[in-house]
This record gives sequence, structure tokens and C-alpha cells, in this order.
Amino acid sequence: MARHSATLLQGTLDLLILKALSTGELHGLGVSRRIEQMTDGTFVVQPGSLFPALHRLEEAGRLSSSWDASENNRRAKYYALTRAGRRQLGQETTEWNRISLAIARALEA
Amino acid sequence: MSRLSSLWRNLVQRERVEHDLDDEMRATLDLLVAEKVDAGLSPADARRAARLELGGVESVKEQVRDARRGALVNAVVQDLRYASRLLWRNPLFTLTAALSLSIGIGATTSIFTVANGVLLRAAACVTDPDTLVDLVRRDPKQGPGVELMSFPDLLDIRQRATLLDDAYGYQLQLAPASLLFDDSSTAVFACVVTANYFRALGVPAAAGRVFDAGDVEQAGASPVAVLSHDLWLRRFAGDAGVVGHTVRINNVPMTVVGVAASTFRGTSVVAPDVWLPVSMVAALSPDGGGQELTNRRIPWLMLGARLKPGVSRAQASAQLAGIGAAIQRDTPVNPFIPQDAPAGVHEIDPSSLVWSAEVASPIPYGLRIIAAGFLGLLMALVGIVLVIACTNLAGVLLARATGRRREIAVRTAVGAGRGRLVRQLLTETALLFALGGAAGLVLARAMTRLLFLLLPEFPVPVNLSAPLDGRVVAFALVLSFIAAVLAGLAPALHVSKSDVVTALKDDAQGPSDRHRLRNAFVVAQVAFSILLVVVAGLLVRAFDNVISVNQGFDPRDVDVASLDLTMGGYTDATGRDVVRRLRDRVRSIPGVEHASVADRAPGPAGRSFGNITVPGAVAQKGSPSAFTTWTLVEPDYFRTAGIPLLAGRDFSDADGPGAELVVIVGQRTAKRLWPDRDPIGQLVSVRPPRSGDPDIAALHSTDASARAREAQLRVVGVVGDLNFGNQSGSGPLVIYVPYQQKYLAQATILVRRTTGVGSLVQELRSAVASVDRNLPVLTTESLERQNNGPVQTQLRIAAAVAGSVGVIGLFLAGIGIYGVTAYAVTRRTREIGIRLSLGAGRGEVIRLVLRQGMGLVAIGSAIGLLLGLGAGALLSGRRFGIPQADPVVLVGAALLFAVVGLIACYVPVRRAAAIRAMEALRYE
Repeated sequence: MARHSATLLQGTLDLLILKALSTGELHGLGVSRRIEQMTDGTFVVQPGSLFPALHRLEEAGRLSSSWDASENNRRAKYYALTRAGRRQLGQETTEWNRISLAIARALEA
Repeated sequence: MSRLSSLWRNLVQRERVEHDLDDEMRATLDLLVAEKVDAGLSPADARRAARLELGGVESVKEQVRDARRGALVNAVVQDLRYASRLLWRNPLFTLTAALSLSIGIGATTSIFTVANGVLLRAAACVTDPDTLVDLVRRDPKQGPGVELMSFPDLLDIRQRATLLDDAYGYQLQLAPASLLFDDSSTAVFACVVTANYFRALGVPAAAGRVFDAGDVEQAGASPVAVLSHDLWLRRFAGDAGVVGHTVRINNVPMTVVGVAASTFRGTSVVAPDVWLPVSMVAALSPDGGGQELTNRRIPWLMLGARLKPGVSRAQASAQLAGIGAAIQRDTPVNPFIPQDAPAGVHEIDPSSLVWSAEVASPIPYGLRIIAAGFLGLLMALVGIVLVIACTNLAGVLLARATGRRREIAVRTAVGAGRGRLVRQLLTETALLFALGGAAGLVLARAMTRLLFLLLPEFPVPVNLSAPLDGRVVAFALVLSFIAAVLAGLAPALHVSKSDVVTALKDDAQGPSDRHRLRNAFVVAQVAFSILLVVVAGLLVRAFDNVISVNQGFDPRDVDVASLDLTMGGYTDATGRDVVRRLRDRVRSIPGVEHASVADRAPGPAGRSFGNITVPGAVAQKGSPSAFTTWTLVEPDYFRTAGIPLLAGRDFSDADGPGAELVVIVGQRTAKRLWPDRDPIGQLVSVRPPRSGDPDIAALHSTDASARAREAQLRVVGVVGDLNFGNQSGSGPLVIYVPYQQKYLAQATILVRRTTGVGSLVQELRSAVASVDRNLPVLTTESLERQNNGPVQTQLRIAAAVAGSVGVIGLFLAGIGIYGVTAYAVTRRTREIGIRLSLGAGRGEVIRLVLRQGMGLVAIGSAIGLLLGLGAGALLSGRRFGIPQADPVVLVGAALLFAVVGLIACYVPVRRAAAIRAMEALRYE
């Protein structure tokens, strides 16, 4: 599978992050792996793009963070969706679906 | 986490935030390694793979930081911290840079402070100065002049100008008066103002009250006075009890109702000692005819008003223009408006006058262009020195930035963007300039005071306030900022382009275009410095020319004392006698060779009592009558002043009130009116000012019957002309008339001392007192010092300023030359070593270094001299008599810079000469 990383638009990356965290809290690396898994390896997000996005979303109030022990007992930062984040996820999903439907129709015609 | 609280965290708890980020990254790395190990790699391989995948911990951290809220602020703060540390660690550089900057910015700001105080804002101590306007009336086609209005004009404006509030008026020319209190009299300067003057300006009283609505504006009403704070301290010792007392001003009793606030010194450039209401104007000019409040043809007031809230100056001006046109149409008058041009009085066509509302400032609107031009010249001069300082700094910054190539390369390698780098370098420059600017602002106050010291002593107290208001501070800040950008941008851009690889290697040579840029800076410095020196030289020459031109009289060894006889209560009838008595009294002072009295000392100003007509002669512009300036003199005046008597005789005591009216004419007048005849014995007719026109500008007329008649005067003598900077051949036509035959209240006593006798001013004062105890002497000084016309004053100030900045510029240019030459020696040490080992003599080495430094001086000098020629061409257009190109100045400047260049190169040359081949070759 091709590896697209920096070509992801910021908005799309945000959507994927929110989706990745919709099932539970994860640390940064976990989010990256989750996205890779969800998209079947199509999107591998580089840390240089992921972590700034995570921090940005946290500062905007979409994510909350907490410190916990990681798999190998290191102090790691875990992210979780806030209520606002969940709301945004729903909105953006609807929006995305609408857009992709419209584009698909346009390409068919 | 909300936006605000995250901003707070990022800015204030930076340590915690950084620590967290570090932990997060470390944890991520560990997890990655664990992943790889699980997948089967060895721990070492796993670590390496993990690092690769993470992509550089620092880089990721940096990107997170940039994405955070407050990232920009953080970066700027960090830049500032770094920059200040850098400046702290290099105190010598910081000090010299800050010092040269502060001088440049300080000088420029101080000129602006003066310009602001004098041109751009109303006088000090008024409330809300930006809503004040001056109401003026002028002919747009005429040159600079003063525009006065009449009292009925003011009443009309009050009634009709709906966009203006509180229209007020004040007298521009202060009237000298005598103030009698407690049996002693003081000479004071009085200013007549309308009753709403203080209220309109918002000036409070320091004691008692100021004029208010209760002071009726009718002739003779409200005999009250307001003292200035200065006079109150000086003469009344600040005693609040003086309020309510009665004083006699010019022998008219008035009640002191209050003292003005301490920082208020009037609304014009001259500061009055006492304010009187318009109802009392007759007290200051008893022979004036008493029509000041009713006659529209007597303009004597400067008017001002306040804009109503929400009204712009343009709107008010338009309304005023309409009102003026209407008034001019309905009641056409031909106001007697004196203009500033040397040819004297012009008759104004009333329909060409335009009324308008202008920005309020102490200088009358019509004269602002002169003041602005002069201040502009000063600003250009000090601006050049600022440019030189900036160029100096730019060169030094470039050198330092070059030295930090390696550091910058490392930072680029680590991931700093070019924009970030440029911003950081600019921050350093900006900090330096902020320091320089702040210091400059402080210096500006001192420099403004210095500038005022350069002004000659005026016979009247001058009100030149230069307050440090918001506009001045803003000016200094903006100037510093622009200078910082200009000086720092070129080096910053240049250095940030550096190629990482070559910079990281040890590099002794370095790319040559950087050096070319630095050399270009030095050339620019030298060019501007020479420009300054040339301009200074031209100004000094002009000043020399002006003061050394033969003015037609001999000012040496002459003392003068000026009086105003109305202060002693003298009138036309009684004054002539006292003038004669004064003359006789001062003649008897030991050490006096000649003595006389005139209406004024020899000077460029003039007054006229009428045009003269010669039957059969064409005088001026096709009319038979010639405009002449008059001087009223007692016998022996010409000998006292050193004016040569060319034909005929001087006045004698016999030329008195009852005898035949006589006149002595100047040589130019004689040639113009009697080109082919002997003027002695000829008759001239004097046409007095048009009947019905009262005398203006402090002219005191003879009795009414004489005014109506044309007088006939007989020419008895011809004297040499006076010359005050006029082109040869032109200049006013002058005539002299005996004091006993035409009286004026202004009188000046002149005494010529016998050679070797010192100043006699004290004796003059006692002599006057012995004739009349209550007649105060206005000013006394030597005639030489009194010669301070506006042209000389401006030239003197300009020459002094140019000279000082020229010296500073020279110094800075010298430093620049030294810097670049020393650097060149350091850079080429290895090359010099090679040359020495190949057999070059020391002389050749010295020549090499000198060529470097002096080459720059030569190029800079050439450019600078060309600029100087251009500046000379520009300046000589005005009427200052500045020579366009003075070879002495040009050659002198070139030589001066050659010497400065040699001195600047001395140390580097010595160092170069001392280089030993072996050491040089070992040096990397």
C-alpha cells in the first residue's frame, strides 16, 4: 500500500484522530497505529504531523489528556475524546459523507 | 482545556510544558523500540529503526511547539532573551552601538520636538489642543506674511460661524508698558486679549481668577489685568495677596484679578508678562485713536477658536471661507496689511483674501513655511548622521553575523527555518535599536535645551515650549524601528543564506560578496560624512559672509539703550523735549565720543510715515511717489553710527519744530530720485497715509491738521546706504528726518565710545534715570550683539548644528574605516605571511593595507563631494546667500577625510607591519 503522510490535509487528519479515539483513550503512538490499522495501511501518519495535531486538538478542547503507565511502564500521555470532540466527530463525519457523495456523483456523470 | 488556559500554560508554565513534552516523546520512543524488538530486531537495530521512524526527537518537539497556542509569543520572548544575553556578553559593542544610535535618534527627535511644539500643536498648557484652530485671512498669491484681523471681524465670526465655539483673539505684537506698583516701575510686555481668551483655551488661574464673561468688551470697561506666573514670581515674589491690588499700567489704574497657570506663557512665540482685556487696549496706545474695537480697517488681532465636537477643521475652514467672502462683499475694506517682504507695505485687493481655519500653533500661519523650511533643513542634517550611524551598525552587524556563521549553520541543520533565523537576527538588531531609541529620547530633552541655548538673546521673552508629548515619543519609536529594519535587514538576509556545509567547515576566506557589502557600507558612511562636512562648511561660509558684509555703518564700540516714552507718560507734546534732554545728558558721560538718539538702531527692519514725491521724477513702478523707510534721528546720529556723510550737512539743533522741515536722504534714494541733479536744496513732498486710515503698527501720528496736509521737506544732506544682505543695488529707499520735527515714542540712545573705553550700558541706565526716574530702560547692549536678524539667527543655528553633526559623522566614518581595515588585515594575515615569505618588503605590505582602507575613503569622498555639490545647488536657491560650490570647502573636506582615513588606518597598518611570516603561516 502506498504511504501517504504529509499529503493529508489538516482537517482530514483531525477527523482520523477523533475517530481513532472514539473507542477509547490511546497514547500518541497508539493513535498512529490505530489510524494505520483503520485505513488498512493507506495512511501512516508521521510523528512530525501527528503530535502537533494532537496538541492542537487538546488545546482546542476536543481532547483531554492524562498521564498513565504505558505498556512498558513508562509515564506516557494518553488522549481521550471530550464531549465537544465527540460532537465534532459526528459533525465532520456527516460533512465528509456529504462531500464524498457529491464528488462521487460528479465523477460518475 | 480551553484556549485561554492553554495559552496561559504555554506562556507561564513553560518548564512544566517542556518537561511533559519531553516525557511524551521519550515514552513514544520507548514504545517504538519495544515494538521493533517484539517484531524481531536486535535492541541496537530496534533503537536505530525507532529513531528513524520518529524522525528526530528534537524536530518533532519543535513542530509541536510551533503548533501550540502562543507559539509566536514564545518565540519572540525567546529571541529577546537570547538577544539580550548576546548584547550583555559584548559590552563594548553594545555600548558603542547604543551610543552612536542614541545620538542619531536623539538629535533627530529633538529637532522634531521643536518642530512639534512650534508648528504642529497649540501652545503649552491649553486643554485639548487638537480642537483649537487659528482663524486666518490671507492672499494666497502673496508670500509669507502675518495675517491680522479686526475686532468687528471677530464679532462677525462669533455670530456667523456655527461650527466654531468660543472664538477669541489676542494681540500678536506685544506692547511694551510700564507697570507701577508700590512706587517702583517695571518694564513689562503686555498682551491684549478678548474676555473669553483664557476660558476658550482652558487655562486655569494659579491665583485669583482669569478673564471671564463678566469682563465686558467695551472700550474703557473692566480695568483689570492678569499677571503671568513668571512676572508674579519675579516682581511680586509669588505673594497671593497681590490679587485685588491696583497697579498702574502706563499710568492707567487697573486691578490685578489673578495670575495665570505656571506653564502657560501665551499663544505666540513671545511670552507676555501681563494680559489686559480688549476694553483696555487704549491704555497701551494712547495716541491710537481709540477705534480698535469699532473700526473694521484696523487689523490688530490674531484670532482662534475651538471646533465644535464632531466638526473637522476642513468643514470649519469651508464655512469660514464663505463667511469671509460674504463680509468682504458686503463691507469691502482695504486692510492695511504689512507683509514680510523687504519692499514693505502692499495694498491688498480685498476680494483676493481667503479666510480659513488652520491648525493652531504659536507661529502665525503665514510664517510657518519659513519655520518649516528651516527646521526641515536641520532635520535633514541630523537625519544624515542617523543614516551614517545606521550604516556603521549595519557593517558591524554584518561582521558579527559572519562570525556566527557556524552557529547559524548548526541551527539550520537542526531545523530552524530561514524565516525564523532572519527574525532572530532582526530581534537582536531591534533590541539594540530599542535601547538606542530609549536613550535617544532621554538625550533629546538635553539636546533640545542645547538647541535653545544656541538662540541669541532676544529683547523680548521668548515662549518656545517643546513639550514631550505622544507625538514625539511615537516619532522616536517609529524612527528607531525603521532604522533597525534598514540596518539589520541586509546583514540578516545575507547571512541566513549561508550554505550549511561550507559554513560548518573551517573557513578562512569566506565568500567575498559579504566583504563587498561591508565595504559598500563604509563607502556610504564616508560619502554621507563628507556631505555633512561640506554642507557645514557652506553654512559657515554663508554665515561669515552675512556678518562680515559691510553693512554701511560701524557697529564697533557703540552701546545702545532702547526706551518707550509712553511708559513714562510722555506724549507728542512732551516727548520731544525729553529726547533732547536725554541726548544732552548722555553726551556728558565720560568716555563718550559721540552720542545721539534715533527711533531705532541701524537694522534691517524699517517703518514708514509716508511716500515721498519729487516733482518731475519717476520713482517706483510708474508712480511718482516712492515708498521710503524713515529713520527719525537727532543731530550727530551719523557720526555716532559711523554712517558716512557724502554731501551736504547733518541735522543741527536749529532744525526744530518751528523751523523749515528738512530731510537727509540715502545715496540710493538720491540716485533714484535725482539721477542727474544735485539733490541738496531740492524739495520733496511727503504724502501721509491715506486720509481716513489711522496709523497702524505703532505709528504715532502728528496732529490732525498736519496729517491732512502734504508736507514739504528740503533735502540738506546725503548719507551712505545701509546694507543687510541685499543684493547690491537693491534695497529700500531710506530718508532721515529730525526727531524734533517728527516724534515717535520709541527711542534708542546710541553712544560711541572713545577707543579703549569699556561698555557704558550701566552709565546709560543711570543717565536715563537721572533725567526721569520713572522712565524704564527696555534693553541695553552693544550694537554688535544686537545685529541678530532672522537670517543670521537661522544661519548660526544651522551652521552650529551642521558643524556638530559633521564632527560626529566624521568620527563615525573614521570608526567604520578602522573597523573594515582591521578586519581586512585579520582576514588576509595568511596572505600577508605568504607574501612576506616570498620576499615582499614591509613597505609593500603597508601599501597593500593602505590601499584597502584609503581606496574606500577615495571612492566615498568622490561620491560625497558630488552629493555636496548637489546639496549646495539645492541650498543656494533660498535667499540665505549660501554659496553653491565653494572650492575651499570642497578641497578642505577632501583633505580632512584623507587625514581621518590615514589616522583610522594607522593601527591596522602597524599591526600588518608587525606580522611575522612564520606566525602568519601558522595562523588558521
